[in-house]
Amino acid sequence: MGSIIRLENLCVNFDDRFNLHNIEWTIEPNQHWVITGTNGAGKSALAAVLAGVGDIENGTVTGLPNNVGLVSFEAQAELIAKELKKDDADIMDVISLGTPVYEMIFDNCQDPELAHSLVEKFGLSKLLDRAFRKLSTGETRKVMLIRALSSKPDLLILDEPFDGLDVDTLAMLQAHLASIIETTPMVMVLNRFDEMPDFISHVAYVDQGKLTLTVDKKDDNAFNELYQLLHLKTTDLSVPEADPANKLPALDPSQPLVKLNQATIKYGDTVIVDKLDWTIQQGQHWQLSGPNGSGKTCVLSLITGDHPQCYTNDIFVFGFQRGNGESIWQIKQFIGYVSTALQWEYRVSTSCKNVIISGFYDSIGMYTKSTDNQKKIADQWLALLGMKDRADQPFNKLSYGDQRLLLIARAMVKHPPLLILDEPCLGLDDMNRQLVLALIEKICQGSETTVLYVNHHAEDKIEGIENYLGLKKN
Amino acid sequence: MANYFNTLPLREQLAELAKCRFMNSSEFADGVEALKGKKMVVIGCGAQGLNQGLNLRDSGLDVSYALRPEAIAQKRQSWKNATENGFVVGTYEELIPTADVVLNLTPDKQHTAVVKAVMPLMKEGACLSYSHGFNIVEEGMKIRDDLTVIMVAPKCPGSEVRAEYVRGFGVPTLIAVHEDNDPKGEGLALAKAYAVGTGGHKAGVLMSSFIAEVKSDLMGEQTILCGMLQTGSILCFDKMVEEGIDPGYASRLIQYGWETITEALKYGGVTNMLDRLSNPAKIKAFDLSEELKVIMRPLYNKHQDDIIDGTFSRVMMEDWANDDANLLKWRAETAETNFEKTPAGDVEISEQEFFDNGILMVAMVKAGVELAFETMTAAGIVAESAYYESLHETPLIANTIARKKLYEMNATISDTAEYGCYLYNHACVPLLADFMKGIKTDVIGKGLSVEDTGVDNKRLIEVNTALRSHPVEAVGAVLRGHMADMKKIV
Repeated sequence: MGSIIRLENLCVNFDDRFNLHNIEWTIEPNQHWVITGTNGAGKSALAAVLAGVGDIENGTVTGLPNNVGLVSFEAQAELIAKELKKDDADIMDVISLGTPVYEMIFDNCQDPELAHSLVEKFGLSKLLDRAFRKLSTGETRKVMLIRALSSKPDLLILDEPFDGLDVDTLAMLQAHLASIIETTPMVMVLNRFDEMPDFISHVAYVDQGKLTLTVDKKDDNAFNELYQLLHLKTTDLSVPEADPANKLPALDPSQPLVKLNQATIKYGDTVIVDKLDWTIQQGQHWQLSGPNGSGKTCVLSLITGDHPQCYTNDIFVFGFQRGNGESIWQIKQFIGYVSTALQWEYRVSTSCKNVIISGFYDSIGMYTKSTDNQKKIADQWLALLGMKDRADQPFNKLSYGDQRLLLIARAMVKHPPLLILDEPCLGLDDMNRQLVLALIEKICQGSETTVLYVNHHAEDKIEGIENYLGLKKN
Repeated sequence: MANYFNTLPLREQLAELAKCRFMNSSEFADGVEALKGKKMVVIGCGAQGLNQGLNLRDSGLDVSYALRPEAIAQKRQSWKNATENGFVVGTYEELIPTADVVLNLTPDKQHTAVVKAVMPLMKEGACLSYSHGFNIVEEGMKIRDDLTVIMVAPKCPGSEVRAEYVRGFGVPTLIAVHEDNDPKGEGLALAKAYAVGTGGHKAGVLMSSFIAEVKSDLMGEQTILCGMLQTGSILCFDKMVEEGIDPGYASRLIQYGWETITEALKYGGVTNMLDRLSNPAKIKAFDLSEELKVIMRPLYNKHQDDIIDGTFSRVMMEDWANDDANLLKWRAETAETNFEKTPAGDVEISEQEFFDNGILMVAMVKAGVELAFETMTAAGIVAESAYYESLHETPLIANTIARKKLYEMNATISDTAEYGCYLYNHACVPLLADFMKGIKTDVIGKGLSVEDTGVDNKRLIEVNTALRSHPVEAVGAVLRGHMADMKKIV
């Protein structure tokens, strides 16, 4: 097989409609790739670059073979457009039939024998004389596949090759592809993970025109995480409903959720937080940032009631002026909370499902019997996270990133008026960070929860947060 | 002051000892209502004082701390604990007269002095709460007639009382009302509300009496909880070293072994602890424990008898009056034991290996738990009390040994428990001398070296039946069942 294909710092412009940015990608001989990502992320664009499409604005592509076979909707559309143009171009008053299928397949064909057998297998034998442009979309796609496969390509690029194929044809095509893996490196674009053929060795994940991750399929953990990410990004599932039986007391909409008045925290003579005024209105998302030791977590714990000095401050939360006989559970019921510290404290041998249900009780571990409805809602969350099959697995055996996802679901399960995310991406690798952010975005989209987001990584921005509070180190 | 228990007629003594009932969670439906808006003043801001106060305040109750003037003036740790956590702190004179409930959470030894100082300052009809009844039962402290006297005793160290509350749970708690001091009949309502305030109602509450609490608590802590673990540590370590086992390994096997094997006890009682062994090892452990029970039974009986008739507390209080001469001497001796002085070696011991190579330790825990339970129930203490004061608390004490050996255990427990522990240890080490001569590394240090792990069916059935039919297992199954859904924190 051929040489190494290298894309280095590559920026490509596609008629100003789309741009790929700073792509770094190496495809070695014997590797077979799938490019995946959400709609509009740039999967097809990246695949098309390998077929020479697009204007390179920066960077280099080296090692591309001459004979690249490309099957994609864009190429298909282009070919059909070309055929239609032929018709328009005909100024004589004769009805043009356009190019027959036979010609489309066999003109310049490198392997007529293979083409014949594929025509038969694809069930196109009776259509050979028909004009290409008269075919249905599925049929033109089959023609394209036959053309590409029988051109003896040095690199085969298949953009959503399985879309719209019936079960038998799909099986036949997959079997054929599997039979040529020794001679033909392949790059496929696939939206659905479960369509991924076994011979695929690597997966590239594209987001917003950038190649953000490449995963070796042999790395089970990374592969599963990628699966979950894609699942979260592409699934139509929305955030599960709250449990009507666990309805929270209504809040007065004219009152702020939180009002800190001259809040001060000190240990001995050391002042951690100095006279902070802060009001959080309902529906007003906030980002809180500041360097280590600036008291971010302290301020949060004044709100949650976890800081003992909340009793010596002027704090109004969820309709309670603190220190007037309210219990901490009356406060906590309005808050969903996720932090690294919580994850450390959540050392339980309980199941994943129970961890989610414990959010209804604001408890670490489960100490009461859960209701059927709570179990149902927990199952819906697990489905959303792509962790349906792990409902009964012990929480403490999960990966760090999966634990974080579950704790976010736990925090959200009761649809709290305030969701506090204290550095939710801390300690997570790139993949898991994207997973967590994808989940948070999903939550922000479809709920009435006010989000209070604490971090100091600028790249971990969340859509829709417009208020910023910066703390300085005292 | 005279021993209160000894002033009662036998009929009442027996009735008080037998008081213990596991309360239904529906009995706590009123929550903290009985204490709402009342002023609770805590005396003492150590682990129990601080952590109970934090819980009570988070349950919506009004909590402040009364400290001695010198603790405030010198900004001692107790003062720091209270003020940094945002509590109001004042002197006895400032706060006690305003208190509706005074929570005496000082060490046992200070009770007499504290109560004498506090009582004249307390307002008419207020409530005085204890977390241990020694002062009332053994020292015979007489409380003003207009005051209500209750006890609320979380059965865990203070740090755990707080940690479980924060998780949304609580620790098992014992409550009692001193019948001589319940002028308004509100003692039970106050004790229940207090137990809710600390989260105890979620983990199970035992309604007991001052007498049952004191007599069972003393018995448990002296024998199985601290005494047996101390004696076992010393004997097992010396035996292993004598038999040529690497001291570092021996030290680690014991320091962390108690914790590991009693974790199995916590989950499934003595039965589960022995079920963790192979069949031949289980039969071996069973036989050893039967032997140990015969040798040690007189010692357990003596401890229980001395506790019941007041001999123990009298002798200990003599030591208090003698500047703790015995306590301090024994504490120093413990620090000098080979086990204490040999750090745990840097070797890996798997969870199962602690069982396999610690058959004698398993046997000692079994013998100690069963003997303590049998002796207590024979003395008229009911099974629920006896269970909590023996089996239930053993893992908690074992955890302290894992942290910092015997030093940590004796530093964590009360002076009363520490004194009783040394007393037990001094009698038990020589008592087991002959028994230990017959012990080899197959039951401590190396594990059984049997080629064939087969056993006689009949014998195995006998052993399993004996294990499962012991009365501590029956009551344990019920009480653990109450905690089954919840207590899953590891």
